[in-house]
Amino acid sequence: MPIGIGIGFSQHIEAKEAAEEALKEAVTKSGLKTPRIALLLSTVQYSPDIVINTIKKYLPNTNVIGCSTAGIILEDSIKTRGIAILFLDSEDIKYGLSAIEDLTAQGLEQSGALLAQNSLKEFGAHGRQAFLFFMDGRMENNSLLIKGLQNVFGNIFPIVGAGTSDDFTFNKTFQFYQDKVLKNSAVGIILGGAVNISVASRHGWRPLGKPRMITESYSNVIKTINHQNAVTLYEEYLGKNSNDIRAQQLGKTALLYPLGLHEQASQEYLLRNPIEVLNDGSIVCQGDVPTGSVVHVMIGNKDSCQQAAYEAASEAKKNLLGKEAKLIIVIESMARLKLLGRGAFKEIEEIKSLFPKNTPIIGLYAHGEVCPFKTTDKFKKPLLQNESITVLAVS
Amino acid sequence: MSPTFIYIIVGAVVTLVFIVMIFMITGKNKTNQQLVAALDKMKKSFNALDEQAKLIVKTDLELNHAQEELDKRLSGLDALQKTSRLISTTLDEGEIFDRLKQSLSAELDFEQYVILTYSTKDSFQAKVVEGFGDKEIQLIVAGITLDQALMNKLLAGEIFSSSKSSPQQAKEIAQIFNTQHFILSPIISQGGMVGLVFVGNASNTFTITEGDEELVAILANQIGQSIQNARLFEEVYLSSRMLETKVLERTQQLESALEEVQNISKTKTEFISAVSHELRTPLTSIKGYAAILMDGKLGEIPEQVKERLGKINTHSDSLVQLINNLLDISRIESGRVEMNMSECALIDMIENVHDLLTPQMKEKGVHWKTNIDPSIPPVRVDASQYERVFINLISNAIKFTPSDGTITVTAKREDNTIQMKITDTGIGIAEKDVVRLFDEFYRVENKINQNVKGTGLGLPLAKKIVEAHGGKMWVTSVVNEGTTFHFTLPLKNEQSTTKNEKPLTKENT
Repeated sequence: MPIGIGIGFSQHIEAKEAAEEALKEAVTKSGLKTPRIALLLSTVQYSPDIVINTIKKYLPNTNVIGCSTAGIILEDSIKTRGIAILFLDSEDIKYGLSAIEDLTAQGLEQSGALLAQNSLKEFGAHGRQAFLFFMDGRMENNSLLIKGLQNVFGNIFPIVGAGTSDDFTFNKTFQFYQDKVLKNSAVGIILGGAVNISVASRHGWRPLGKPRMITESYSNVIKTINHQNAVTLYEEYLGKNSNDIRAQQLGKTALLYPLGLHEQASQEYLLRNPIEVLNDGSIVCQGDVPTGSVVHVMIGNKDSCQQAAYEAASEAKKNLLGKEAKLIIVIESMARLKLLGRGAFKEIEEIKSLFPKNTPIIGLYAHGEVCPFKTTDKFKKPLLQNESITVLAVS
Repeated sequence: MSPTFIYIIVGAVVTLVFIVMIFMITGKNKTNQQLVAALDKMKKSFNALDEQAKLIVKTDLELNHAQEELDKRLSGLDALQKTSRLISTTLDEGEIFDRLKQSLSAELDFEQYVILTYSTKDSFQAKVVEGFGDKEIQLIVAGITLDQALMNKLLAGEIFSSSKSSPQQAKEIAQIFNTQHFILSPIISQGGMVGLVFVGNASNTFTITEGDEELVAILANQIGQSIQNARLFEEVYLSSRMLETKVLERTQQLESALEEVQNISKTKTEFISAVSHELRTPLTSIKGYAAILMDGKLGEIPEQVKERLGKINTHSDSLVQLINNLLDISRIESGRVEMNMSECALIDMIENVHDLLTPQMKEKGVHWKTNIDPSIPPVRVDASQYERVFINLISNAIKFTPSDGTITVTAKREDNTIQMKITDTGIGIAEKDVVRLFDEFYRVENKINQNVKGTGLGLPLAKKIVEAHGGKMWVTSVVNEGTTFHFTLPLKNEQSTTKNEKPLTKENT
């Protein structure tokens, strides 16, 4: 049975009307009135409670999952205000949804494991393809959550995730799960059955300056680099002292110049966004930063970003093994939106150029992305990344 | 510095490191001193490279800021263009704000914005609000209104922003709006300030830039123009509506008045008709008895009595004539006259009238002249009635034309109408009298009329007969030169009826 797919979008100023308009468009495009699965994305100008209540009023029996985002990626544009909904329906697609609330209280690793277990319970005994999840992007170290997921799914099972984002204020994010609006939570869906999902990711940032070594760190906090306070690195590069850097929100500026951890087996650098400077000069990153890692300050530009988007899409297409993509889901870092500005859509044009015309595209800007990263010669292990673009092709 | 260049440098450094490492590992043909020197050299190269990298980052950061500002300005211009198009295509003030609300939410990257309208009568009214509650708006309005110095500056057209205004002023406005980063601009129209535009960001994430200030200034200007256009249109529209209402009211008044006049006229006609009938019967008796007395059937009467009886007879005839005219007019007016339509030759009718009035013309020494278009076909008229038109008009002409004068009767065909005129070389009629000439009982005051008796009904009756045949009658005159009565007769006289047809009424003439 063919997959029913339809994407609706609205920028209406009122949350209820916007949700209704997006729904109407999705119904029209998919021909489905009650799809099995709906992916709901909303920018933070809308009341999420009104949005979800409106959606569930019309789709009481549909499994709804989604989150807030800094911007919505569509086939023809990128919008920093709006509501989008993706309808996905097929008898042959198997799925299992779950949500874990209050992540900080439960512990991230434990939460990740529970999220995976609950999803598998719903999913049943079918062939798995991929796990897609949305986690609160404000978490300091979501690497632990991923570790928990991998404890259940295994190290090389494709896990694709997005840290939920907002309008760069880093304090308004939320997640949708069925009829609930959640915070400090993670929601996910495992997909399988007669569906092919292909995932690929790139970032396009390049190392700059001399390599340095993380000489002291724990979890996601770098205390010293080359035996100096970690913040010294950014002070030297950005030309400001740490207090100024803190005042201007390191997260916003450092989005453009993340740290790159060199992985021996990979040509890519694993990027880490510094999000906060502590009083002792330590830098808090969005993911694990092991002591002894060689790090670079990384730099990217529009060309390298577009090239990365093209490469990710090429690999995702290649992995479909000749099958035609029915849907493209893009998850990319909000840093790329900031870096590319008005040129952000050029990345999407690069992706579109590789797939048949009118292939539906939906995507979101994330604050921390999870996707398989090449860590050995043979395998790709899902890792928390920053500044990346992930292309997920469904056929 | 291009990224390619950066990559080349980075690549070269990595290669250098690799080579040095090989040398270090192999260590063949190298002394420890040489190795230390090489390492030192390498370290210096790294440091130099790192310094370059720092320079690159700083330059890149500046470029990014410039790019961000440029993007913001471009987005702002795009937003302005869309917003301007939206609000300039409506002349409804309410619709302008509805469209602004929709457009600003989609196009502007500000967390908060408010558009207030202002008038001395109504103070500030919130029209578009994002990011503030009702109570906050009330406090904002109170805050602005109470700050007279700020109000004066706004009224003078000054724009404020958190980045450009004096720290003290910026602090005051930030307190009023409870927002750190803002732009506050008056909306200026021809008549002065008509409102305010405020945009702001409460968080430190987005600060205000020069591009933002320009954007808001242009936006405020555009809103001002649109409001002005809408208000002008509203004014014109209201005036037009008021005028329409007045015209409608006046028309209704006139219709009522006309209806009243028609009712009065109808009553008058009925009254005249009734009275005339009542008068004619005793008059007939008076005439009859006078005739019996004059014939001497009741015995010889003295000459003096006979003479008096003759006067009674003459005056009775005049009275009968007057009453008959009144009855005819009232019949035509009330639509009760029955027209005996038949075909007749106009030239014959005119000749008959000429024969009838020849004695009077001869007596007065007035010449007769006709100019009748031979192509005029036989006309369909009530001959006895239409003959009265000629008799009345020609008799009048004889009356007012001096000896040796000329009366000319002209008739010519113009399309489907016969144009006729009776021209005399008489004393003429003054302009003030011309306009009342066809009023019933109106008689021009002149010497001739003082000596010759008349009822003032002849011309009104002639006009009504012409109109009853679907024609028109009017008069032109020059004092001391003569007068011309013009009248027309349609060749296809659809209004006329025969005996068996529907009676002629005023409504269908």
